[in-house]
Amino acid sequence: MKFRPLALFALTAGLAVLVGDFTSIDAQEKAIKKSKKKIEAPETPTPAAPVAKPEVVKPVAPPVINVATPKAKDAAALAKVIDAEITKKLATAKLTASALSSDEEFLRRVSLDITGVIPSAEKAKAFIDDKSPDKRAKLIDELLADPRFGRRMADIWTAKLFPKDSGNRFVLKDPLYKWLEEEFNKNPGWDKFTTSMVSATGTVAENGAVTYFIANRSVDKLTDTTAQHFLGIQLQCAQCHNHPFTSWKQTEYWGMAAFYGKVKADNPKNANKGGDNTTIGVTEGPRQTKQKDFFPESAKTVPVKFLGGESPSLGAAEPYRPALAKWMTSPQNPFFAKALVNRTWAHLFGRGFVNPVDDMLPENSPTHPDLLAALAHHVSTTGEFDLKYLMKAICLSDTYQRTSKPTADNKNDKALYSHVAVKVLSPEQLYDSLAQVTGNSRVMDAKGAKGAANPKGGRIGGRDQFVNFFLAGADSTSALDYEAGIPQALKLMNSPIANNPAAVRAVTGNTSKPEDVIERIYLAALSRRPTADELKSLTAYATKTGAQTAYGDILWAVLNSSEFTLVR
Amino acid sequence: MFSTKLQEKSRRDMLKLTAAGVFAPALSGWFPRLAKAAPAGGKGKAKSCILLWMDGGPSHKDTWDLKPESKGAGEFKPIKTAASGVEISEHLPKVAQVMNHGLVVRGMSSPEGAHPRAKYYLHTGFREGQGGIVYPSLGSIVSQEAGKSDSTMPNFVAIGGRSYGSGFLGPKHQPLLITDPNRGLEDLKSSVTAAQLGNRVGLLEQMDKAFHREYGADSITDHKTTYERAVKLMQSKEAKAFDLTGDETKAKYGSGRFAEGVCMARRLVEVGVPFVEVSLGGWDTHQDNFTRVKALSGQVDSAISALVSDLKDKGLLDSTLIVWMGEFGRTPNINNRGANPGRDHYPRAWSLAMFGGGLKGGQVFGKTDKEGASPEKKISVQDFLATVCELMGIDHTKKNETATGRPIQIVEKPQPFTKDVV
Repeated sequence: MKFRPLALFALTAGLAVLVGDFTSIDAQEKAIKKSKKKIEAPETPTPAAPVAKPEVVKPVAPPVINVATPKAKDAAALAKVIDAEITKKLATAKLTASALSSDEEFLRRVSLDITGVIPSAEKAKAFIDDKSPDKRAKLIDELLADPRFGRRMADIWTAKLFPKDSGNRFVLKDPLYKWLEEEFNKNPGWDKFTTSMVSATGTVAENGAVTYFIANRSVDKLTDTTAQHFLGIQLQCAQCHNHPFTSWKQTEYWGMAAFYGKVKADNPKNANKGGDNTTIGVTEGPRQTKQKDFFPESAKTVPVKFLGGESPSLGAAEPYRPALAKWMTSPQNPFFAKALVNRTWAHLFGRGFVNPVDDMLPENSPTHPDLLAALAHHVSTTGEFDLKYLMKAICLSDTYQRTSKPTADNKNDKALYSHVAVKVLSPEQLYDSLAQVTGNSRVMDAKGAKGAANPKGGRIGGRDQFVNFFLAGADSTSALDYEAGIPQALKLMNSPIANNPAAVRAVTGNTSKPEDVIERIYLAALSRRPTADELKSLTAYATKTGAQTAYGDILWAVLNSSEFTLVR
Repeated sequence: MFSTKLQEKSRRDMLKLTAAGVFAPALSGWFPRLAKAAPAGGKGKAKSCILLWMDGGPSHKDTWDLKPESKGAGEFKPIKTAASGVEISEHLPKVAQVMNHGLVVRGMSSPEGAHPRAKYYLHTGFREGQGGIVYPSLGSIVSQEAGKSDSTMPNFVAIGGRSYGSGFLGPKHQPLLITDPNRGLEDLKSSVTAAQLGNRVGLLEQMDKAFHREYGADSITDHKTTYERAVKLMQSKEAKAFDLTGDETKAKYGSGRFAEGVCMARRLVEVGVPFVEVSLGGWDTHQDNFTRVKALSGQVDSAISALVSDLKDKGLLDSTLIVWMGEFGRTPNINNRGANPGRDHYPRAWSLAMFGGGLKGGQVFGKTDKEGASPEKKISVQDFLATVCELMGIDHTKKNETATGRPIQIVEKPQPFTKDVV
């Protein structure tokens, strides 16, 4: 029915290789595992094909850049390049662009996108009333320098790099989170960031990045996640059979996996038995690691080989991962810079030039191929892989600063950026924004948070609980589809979050005039003043219902409204 | 063949296309199933399923598959039941009386021997991590395939303890979790009076309407739909099923959270909820096996017997499938650790039990050897899951698609045993 040679995929499910157990839990389970082969030979599929001679690889043609980009780092000039390309496509499609966003709309959007939280009422008021012409550019700089940028990015990347897997229940998440938070705030350049991650060595306490290897403890998982998140491609199909849509063969997969062959990643210890998981870590030795559980049964021993590229000649005692990192982060790498640009674009617009963002197959063509290629080229050369610079340039563009209000003729456009898509707050954004409005850093009580007493195990704070409740088992929520269910709606309507008299006082402060109180509620929650109509009808409501009750009701309604939970 | 546009279709776009008759995919959850045809399974009688999840791996030789003559026979004696020829543990005497409605499946066999991976396997029929996909659990499958998308009540409720979720089927099929049945559904009740809630909802509607008028995004409509459903649930009489206060049958089920959970499960089935999972932990009896299994059997005994007889009285037993199972069995031999030894994990041969749901009743399916150590003929988890699907009229050969368009068959390569048991 849909778009792909389905039979091959159906095969995958059956053929998919079983990674097997990777965590020793206790003596009994070890015993079971040892005897497992005898008890029951799992139906291991026969490998699809024996590994043959190395593939002949066509060299990847250098990308054709059809769009000129600035010769030096110049975010404003790069923004103009973006606008010109977007406008060109809109003209071809005979679509008009919506008007620029209001200050209120822009402020809330850019604050949530960069720092993950809505601005305070004071900030909103100051920005709206600021008359200086360059206030939007100043705001972007201010937000990118805000340490909450690191938190926002760490929220996003922890979910990608730390899979929800029973094998990870003793692995500490916080060290990775903190490492990511600091790195994103330091902004070393995406190439350096990736190199630090891919070649990380040391203990968890010394270097939080090693958690990536402990939480993805096998060569195939590392190959899949690295390809998916840093190169924007899904390789896992090629683990078991030749990739159905590309020229990638199984050997290609195991050639990439071979770069992790010398990694020794410690097994997490059982925290319930007093295991300290800050002292475990990752080393890369001179020869193939002896840890059997680090290789799936189906693993094929082939020489290291870059995806679609050469087999580097590395000294026997040389570590492999630095060579992998160097290849990945080279400006000539055909995937790396494009993946960064596509992801960053999707971060800000809710969709990438290529979707899904981690499936950038040649067959999955971009909506704006020239712009994608140009941005990737620019950011990987002149742009020094500077993530904040790339974000700044996009945020400065008219394309990003347009309103989300569609016009009659562009309302069906989803891919050409005639207007900015309405996004849905992530669970983290929702929590932080609720906390920001109600002046409560713990929106949800961490009741029953038994992890809190155990610093060696997973820490479950109020924010994590809230986020998990809204994730409802998923890794992340959709950027554009409202997916929350009835339990989440009940929580927001009926729990103390939106029913807290202290929160009403925190918002209203010492203000007493109904018009002023209502304005404060709107500024605090929606980053705007109420319209004249809203003010009129809500003031009348306050008069009718009694001020204190009415303010509680209005705050409740605002916090439960679609305008609060969505980003225009 | 490749159409980027199609590839990018969101669920909502799919819905629109379906309405236009372009596709006929399974539509999830709360969306109206515009293209719903007669259930492909057809033959199943069961409309609801109650899964009694025995967390930790219950000992088969001390519950449903006693081997008094074997080496590791243990302390328990088998007793006769209402079904001639079917013998079960002496600590399930009340269950024995309703065994004419039950089916014991002996000789289940599975490949996972560690708790988390085995639980995942039993709930989904797939190995954790396989193919980089998160698979839906049985409850989510039932929610998608047999759930009523326009119902006020949720289609999947999990009581007491974590459950396995919807995986790639998406958030609409996540279980609604009840941690403490005595406290009911959290946040179901408004903290303000009905009149004040009415005012608040009125304000909310005004705000949402204005926002939608200007921005018109689908997410605004979806938000509205979810809130409407939530408010409807708060006001519905069906939601009283979550409230055990004053339920006169409660005592029969025994005491404690499991008993309360099973009682709530019955109430939920009465108002049409298609899948309820209730957990009872404590079956990981490496030590002190016999004392612990005896106590746990007592809880199971009261709850199952009360559930079967109540459902029967209400005429719902035929349309409600009850499944009792855990993640694996336990070793046929008794270990020699400590003063009170126990049994260790054993996935190679184990038992589960089912009641009602259109089963013939009073039967045993499958068999283990004289030690209870290996099955005569292996019954796989896939065989079992496919049988549950057939009993519920669900086509287990149907393929659902992951977010990236990979079709995944509900149950892979099963040999269901439905015809042997109905």
